[in-house]
Amino acid sequence: MSWQPDFEELVDEHQSMVFSMAWRITGDRGLAEEIAQDVLLELDRHLPRLGSANHARYWLRQVTLHRSTDALRRKRTKAASLGTDVWEELEERHGLVEMDRESPLAVRMEQLLAALPEAQRAAIVLRYQEDMSPDEIAVMMRAPVATVKSNLQRGLKLLRARAEQTLKEFVR
Amino acid sequence: MDHKDLGENEMQDFEIKLRQAMQRQEAPLGLKQRVLARARERRRAERRPWWRVHFAQRIAASLVLAAVCGGVAMYRQQMEERRKGEEARDQVLTALRITGRTLDRVNEKLADDDK
Repeated sequence: MSWQPDFEELVDEHQSMVFSMAWRITGDRGLAEEIAQDVLLELDRHLPRLGSANHARYWLRQVTLHRSTDALRRKRTKAASLGTDVWEELEERHGLVEMDRESPLAVRMEQLLAALPEAQRAAIVLRYQEDMSPDEIAVMMRAPVATVKSNLQRGLKLLRARAEQTLKEFVR
Repeated sequence: MDHKDLGENEMQDFEIKLRQAMQRQEAPLGLKQRVLARARERRRAERRPWWRVHFAQRIAASLVLAAVCGGVAMYRQQMEERRKGEEARDQVLTALRITGRTLDRVNEKLADDDK
């Protein structure tokens, strides 16, 4: 039986995934919303070429990843040309964002992720948000598995070190 | 337990916390509605057959053509009326000239008779 997707149902099912990925990779909530809208609209155009629910999920992750990393690069280029520090900008922006999650780590997550280089950040998001294996991440990022594992290891260490620094009062 | 094990355990603990902290965030309110509205708009535009897409343009072109033809016809009619008017005027003038010459001849004859 061929797959008969309903676009509205797919949007319902995946909008949080797309938005969260975009936010955590770009560090910019407004930009993440734009990216999420574009990606979901692109899904509507691309739907006839997708053969299953898994294929749709894979496609959404891949397109979101690429759009988000492209947007992040453009933002850095712009910040560099303006002489502003993108990390400072992110910190200011996140200071204004209302967060209502439970753990201190969760509250600061996007800020901590902003400290990571792009490849490590993307690998961490795909691993710990999307629960993808290193092999799956390697295929999606078109990188060797060894590189992905190295990015994950370094990213984790850096995140943990930064979490300890910034969340001193919460570290037991 | 050696230092390496301690380090690995701490890292594993951190990974567990990280996974919990990285649960997906809710999409912003209204995102779904915006996406669906734009998708509907795009599909409507794509569904219109080519002849309907250009229908309004064809109607506009026809109206312009009709206006131009009507204008030309009106212009021709006006030119025709003007020509007729000028013709009538010429006829009147000719008639007046003939009448004038005739009257002159009558006057000359009468003058001759008087002599």
